[in-house]
Amino acid sequence: MSAVDTRVNLAGIELRNPVLTASGTFGYGTEFADFLDLRDIGGLVAKSLTLKPRFGNPPPRIAETASGMLNAISLENVGVEAFLSEKLPALPDEVTVVASIFETDIGRYAEVAQRLGESSRVAGLELNASCPHVKSGGIEFGQDPGGLGELVSRVRAAVSLPLLVKLSPNVTDIAEMARVCEAEGADGLSLINSVQAMDVDVKRGRPVLSNVLGGLSGPAILPIALRMVWQVHHAVSLPICGIGGIASAEDALKFMLCGATAVQVGTANYLDPSVSGQVAAGIRNYALERGVARVADLVGSLEVPSRPLGG
Amino acid sequence: MAERVDAGEEAGAPYAGPRNKPARSEGVVVELSHEGGGNQRLVIRVPGWPGFDPGQFVMLSPGALSDVMRSDPLLPRPMAVYRERRSGADCDIEILFKRHGRGTALLADVLPGQRMRVVGPLGRGFQEPGAGERALLVAGGTGVASIRELAARCGAQAGPKPRVLLGARSSVDLMGLSDFEALEVPLEVSTEDGSLGRQGRVTDLLEDVLAGGEPFRVFCCGPTPMMRRVAELAEAAGRPCMVSLENPMACGFGVCLGCAAPMRAGGYALVCREGPVFAASDLSWEGLP
Repeated sequence: MSAVDTRVNLAGIELRNPVLTASGTFGYGTEFADFLDLRDIGGLVAKSLTLKPRFGNPPPRIAETASGMLNAISLENVGVEAFLSEKLPALPDEVTVVASIFETDIGRYAEVAQRLGESSRVAGLELNASCPHVKSGGIEFGQDPGGLGELVSRVRAAVSLPLLVKLSPNVTDIAEMARVCEAEGADGLSLINSVQAMDVDVKRGRPVLSNVLGGLSGPAILPIALRMVWQVHHAVSLPICGIGGIASAEDALKFMLCGATAVQVGTANYLDPSVSGQVAAGIRNYALERGVARVADLVGSLEVPSRPLGG
Repeated sequence: MAERVDAGEEAGAPYAGPRNKPARSEGVVVELSHEGGGNQRLVIRVPGWPGFDPGQFVMLSPGALSDVMRSDPLLPRPMAVYRERRSGADCDIEILFKRHGRGTALLADVLPGQRMRVVGPLGRGFQEPGAGERALLVAGGTGVASIRELAARCGAQAGPKPRVLLGARSSVDLMGLSDFEALEVPLEVSTEDGSLGRQGRVTDLLEDVLAGGEPFRVFCCGPTPMMRRVAELAEAAGRPCMVSLENPMACGFGVCLGCAAPMRAGGYALVCREGPVFAASDLSWEGLP
């Protein structure tokens, strides 16, 4: 019985398998201790951190939509210091932790990055340049190539850890954003963040979310995410972490075939807190059944019979 | 696997938090009965069910763990555990709910033998009444599902029997009445249309009971405006009041942050993790959805 090598290297981050959990859907990891052995997944991306603790939006913050959900939590988090002193030490040493950063100006982004860079427990950083429901900050950087480039460049200079940039889908040309990140020294790209969206309660004549706008996530956005991963894979040589509606190994494999080195499971964690471990096991089984020795060999292996569209 | 964390606590001691670890498991539907008025009674056999504290809930989603997850409607639904019945190593849990949207319609259409994803028990339950206090349970509509177990446990203890007040729009909307009658505790009912019990709201019954001056601890679950009124009446009478909130939530275990309830002291508390039971005086009622 030949074993499958499930390890992947994502932008300099060594992962035991290609399945991470997406920022904002996995708390700080300990919330899942009753449901999942965290050593069964490649790692986790913790909730986005700001310099100071931050409260979220008033309710209602979430709403169910067709094959998806809207959220406008607004990056409620414990702040970088509490993360380092309380949340990180609560996780087993074997768990690979990627820290996510969000801030409202570039200087503060760099400050949070620098602070996280001082911890030996942080394996890498993910720059959240794309939160679709915060009034100032992230989204502007994620939508403007100039702003994004400056942000990546400043954070890059502040920290030597592997640096992933999480891209917004709420742009006209995601390949352009990817190229900017590559030029400014990012080590990898995570895509996509949630899709800016809204819904309306017709009975009450009001938006369903207190914030009016929110981010759409879940199975509804998978084909959009897949298209963007495919496009970015052809636009840059940076490794990609695919995100968007992944709920099964089959979903995850679609992203890997389209060029993602690793994936993140997001909204599906709410539906089944053990799902990320199952996705990891399913990818391994797929490789085993196909006689693929290394899961990494699946990356970008999509066969396109005729001239590819959209590349 | 689920296991018992702590053997128990003395009745009346402050609630120290959930006594049982939650688990994710695959249950089997034993029974679903339609009880009129859109009311449903669902019985699920859950392997390894660890037991629950009155007021705790489960997240339910039809389907086997090995199935590809259903994508529409996407989210599991939080449901109070109404009752449990041991059956060897397994346990049957009972859920009472009303069919009113797409999620509850899905749950109301399951058949015996069908698989059900169950995550729970979740949340913090009711603190039982202290020495010298008597429980006064007040529920409106589907809120009755959250308080039956507390009524049963208080009723089984020595000391004064709990009093129970149940309200609904109409007699057909009142769930679980015969179960409450079987507890043999003082029970009063109100309906807005007068089809059963006293005509009016359950808060009318409450006003009269509180006027008697007995040292009650009030426990309440129902629609937010009703709970708010109950909280006001209890506060005016100088009685402690615990309420169980029913905010929408996606996960049930503290990560989606969707169920945040605004607190009087500022900030938010998660209904799934810090609740669903709160001291009514800790909440900022104006900000609740």
